[in-house]
Amino acid sequence: MTNYILRRLFFAVPTLLGVAVLAFVLIHIAPGGPVAALVGDRGTPAQIAQVTHSLGLDKPLHEQFFAWIGALAHGDLGFSYVRQSPVAALIAERLPATLLLMGFALLISIAIAIPLGVVQAARQRTRFDRIASLAVFIAWSMPTFWFGTLLIALFAVTLGWSPVGGLQTIDTTAFDWPSRLAHLVLPAATLAIVSIAGWSRYVRGSMIEQLREDYARTAVAKGLGPSTVLFKHVLRNALIPFITLLGSSLPGLFGGAVITESIFAYPGMGQLFWQAALDRDYATLLGMTVITGVLVILGNLLADLAYGIVDPRVRYE
Amino acid sequence: MSDDEAATRPRLPVTTIAWTGLAWIGLAIVACALAPWALHLSATATDVANAYASPSLAHWLGTDGLGRDELARLLVGGRITLSVGAIAAAVAMLIGTAYGAIAGYYGGIADAILMRLVDVFLSVPTLFLLLFLAAMFHGSLIALMLVIGATSWLGPARLVRGEVLSLKERLFVEAARSVGASDARIIFRHVVPNAGGTIITTTTFMVATAMLSETALSFLGIGVRAPMPSWGNLLSSAQSDLFAGAWWLIVPPGLAILATVCAFNFLGDWLREGRDTGVAGT
Repeated sequence: MTNYILRRLFFAVPTLLGVAVLAFVLIHIAPGGPVAALVGDRGTPAQIAQVTHSLGLDKPLHEQFFAWIGALAHGDLGFSYVRQSPVAALIAERLPATLLLMGFALLISIAIAIPLGVVQAARQRTRFDRIASLAVFIAWSMPTFWFGTLLIALFAVTLGWSPVGGLQTIDTTAFDWPSRLAHLVLPAATLAIVSIAGWSRYVRGSMIEQLREDYARTAVAKGLGPSTVLFKHVLRNALIPFITLLGSSLPGLFGGAVITESIFAYPGMGQLFWQAALDRDYATLLGMTVITGVLVILGNLLADLAYGIVDPRVRYE
Repeated sequence: MSDDEAATRPRLPVTTIAWTGLAWIGLAIVACALAPWALHLSATATDVANAYASPSLAHWLGTDGLGRDELARLLVGGRITLSVGAIAAAVAMLIGTAYGAIAGYYGGIADAILMRLVDVFLSVPTLFLLLFLAAMFHGSLIALMLVIGATSWLGPARLVRGEVLSLKERLFVEAARSVGASDARIIFRHVVPNAGGTIITTTTFMVATAMLSETALSFLGIGVRAPMPSWGNLLSSAQSDLFAGAWWLIVPPGLAILATVCAFNFLGDWLREGRDTGVAGT
């Protein structure tokens, strides 16, 4: 097992390094090069001179790269002159809100996608299966920002059941759970729509595949009821590959958060990324790209490890 | 066995739906290309006295906050969104096919390095890269198409690589090599054309994805520039009209995107199924 974990960790290193190189390349192709990337388009000549000097931009490219990687390893993600703040601080301030939103969206997706996929598999080729498949297909093609707008129009503007956006009601300064949750429902539903579609399709296919296995037939043959076979035998095995799917859906969730958070004025990473793109705040964009890349790689690593634990057929050598 | 195979597929009346999709795409292209001209509609003429007019005989889909005809803007916007979708998809397929074919054909270390690079790109959310590049090159429509294409070739590259891995073991490759064909000739004249089915199917899905990217970027205010309408731009401005109760500004562009993206996805699904069973799309 230790061997397996070490091997996985070892394979994650080149990818992490690759993300760092990608970010470095992006800095250098940004208009105005790294100086403008760090100072922003609105930097004063004094700032530009200072940054050029302090970063040693006259040094060879490979030295600059190692200096940058070194700073990165120490948690220095650069300084946003547009926002007058270290990028790491900006991210630290907003990451929790986004993780909360993503976690809530994951819960909604799992709670809907798995039962839907299971029922579709159990009733395959019935009218229910066909209608559900069509609905899933439409949800899969749904522009999320439009879905979010419709939710606001219906539940917030017309019915008045939900707040339009934001993190929590403004006049409460403390952390107000009921208000936070009320503000989470619509954005999380918007973020979840695509994963609900993709995952329920996946669970359906996986269940049908498992139902054809010998062990499932044996369970039916020895007289177990359909729900016992479905939930106690088949579902467990069908969900094993689902772990990998969870890991690989992380980038999509971060990307989706950009759209969702900007529709609902939800102050998380996604909204920050969007505003930074509008401001051409390349330092912030870069820092967030690196951090997200690291989080995604770690997420995939965790998924791989969990897979190894859940499925004893995975060999550790 | 065929019974088992049929069981893994949703029993939608697949062919009917695919034909509906194809008909919708054809209709959308013809309507967007010709209707504004045929109906003498202007997407830019403002009429502030008539702002937020609900749908009527004069304005079938009503007017927006500046009194511009919404139907005209929807149709002209469709031209932009459809062309961005088509050209960005073509760019993505060109890059992805060449990249995947080279990785798959050479194999070994070249393949390992190239595919590791794909893993790196896949670790960063596509929308992040898209916004980053769109912020850098915001302005021209051509740049937008290139940026969307340049960020969506990863999926095609993986699919083509997988296909080429098996194709390169086939006899016709051996035959081509034995008569002295160069690697480039074998890859692009022999192997890639034989992956045509996968490429066409993937292109169909890519058009859908690229259209969603264009509308998302425009919605976020960093895609197609404002006076020029696109389906994403229409929705973006409609969001601020939410409280004016102008549903005719929110529902039609959204439905247009949804229906067209759905149509391309249906078509792609049908082509893929046909290839699996050897009936259509090969």
